[in-house]
Amino acid sequence: MAATEDKRGRWGRITLAALALPGVIGTPAARAEEPPEQGLIAFKYLHYQDSQKVETRYPFYDGSEGSRLNRIKVKAPSLYVLAPVGKWSVEGSGVIDDVSGATPRYYSDVSGASRSPGMEDKRKAGDLKVTRYLPRGAIALGAAHSTEHDYKSTAVSLEGRYASEDKNTTWNFGIAGTKDRIDPVNDIVRDERKRTTEVTVGVTQAMTPRDIAQVSLTQAAGRGYFNDPYKLYDKRPDKRDSTVAMLRWNHHIESLSASVRSSYRFYRDSFGIRAHTLDTAWVQPVTSIFTLTPSLRYYTQNAASFYYDPVPDTDVYPAPVGNPEFSSADQRLSAFGGITVGLKLELQLGRWLTDLKLERYQQRSDWRLGGQGSPNVDTFDATIVQWGLSTRF
Amino acid sequence: MTTFQRIGACALILSTLGGCAVWQPPQPWEKGLLAKEAMTLGGDPLEQRFDLHIMNSKEAASGSGGVGGGGCGCN
Repeated sequence: MAATEDKRGRWGRITLAALALPGVIGTPAARAEEPPEQGLIAFKYLHYQDSQKVETRYPFYDGSEGSRLNRIKVKAPSLYVLAPVGKWSVEGSGVIDDVSGATPRYYSDVSGASRSPGMEDKRKAGDLKVTRYLPRGAIALGAAHSTEHDYKSTAVSLEGRYASEDKNTTWNFGIAGTKDRIDPVNDIVRDERKRTTEVTVGVTQAMTPRDIAQVSLTQAAGRGYFNDPYKLYDKRPDKRDSTVAMLRWNHHIESLSASVRSSYRFYRDSFGIRAHTLDTAWVQPVTSIFTLTPSLRYYTQNAASFYYDPVPDTDVYPAPVGNPEFSSADQRLSAFGGITVGLKLELQLGRWLTDLKLERYQQRSDWRLGGQGSPNVDTFDATIVQWGLSTRF
Repeated sequence: MTTFQRIGACALILSTLGGCAVWQPPQPWEKGLLAKEAMTLGGDPLEQRFDLHIMNSKEAASGSGGVGGGGCGCN
């Protein structure tokens, strides 16, 4: 009897550890019962470059625009540390984003983009999280801060999780507050503020010995300055409320020793955006030390209610017709679809793990699902490379 | 759709998924496969942060069911 109870407790702890997600962001899944047995130090380097086609003939083009514009480049080293301390754990991370390049000030019009050498910025961000482990649950307190020369953000969060007696079900909740301060270099505004409150609830369920799923719902309420100060004619409401429903499902295929990780996200907000995201990855161990993970992501959104299409009349362009209360020509608020194709390679050598992930992302108006995309916006591409090295201690 | 209706819809989807896979919550000694790293409902924390940060700055939707990541003035 005692042996059975011991066995049950051990497997329960392993399953709960399998649900774990360290870090301030992401779903506070269920590392409910025991603190991690090992510490972790991880380094990750990101190289990001995006670009766009120059196909749309916007008014005022003179033929010297070329066929392609390289936009933003990011080089970002980051470090993550997780340390177990008795019934507690402490984790923290830091990142430096070195950002440079140019972005259009309306639509994908390159004549309106900041030209070479464009902008340069360095974003420094860090977060810290302390978790206290309880008999069938855990409580975590987190803080995050990031600073750019024109934008500062501070967030605090409180998360909790509680497991059922058989440890097949874990409920989680989280609440967070974020304060942002915006001071654009063009002095179009000064010392603008934005506050966001987020609440999330969720449940994680081990459905079968090969399936685990999670549902969560997150509600956010934002108040303050939402304009992009570097875009022309960008006047957004000072209130943005959003809802995110997330479903994750992992399935293990024993015959192939493979795991399929899938998720669906529904997003809606008071700007009128409705978005759907489908994400899947196939984790395939090739040898005992080498794993390949191809992945595919599809995203689609409609346009914000105040996004306006380009007006061909040169007396008006790039302004909206009339004088609407709210307006934006930001490509990111237009209607489009996006596809990401990725491949990750992992090599495990004892306590050391190194990985390389390559991704290509493309955003196109005509990839929007369930309707036409916004007209006269060029295709947007990004290449994303991440290299990582980590060890346990 | 109200918040409660949305929660109900999510619960229905989860129940349906469970039905597809035959709802058989594992016994304590059947959790070995779920304990694999690849079955984690999260993953590499730094990779997740980069992925979220990139997509949040290029698409209108943001968030992944968690809270407290902080904001940025991303281009």
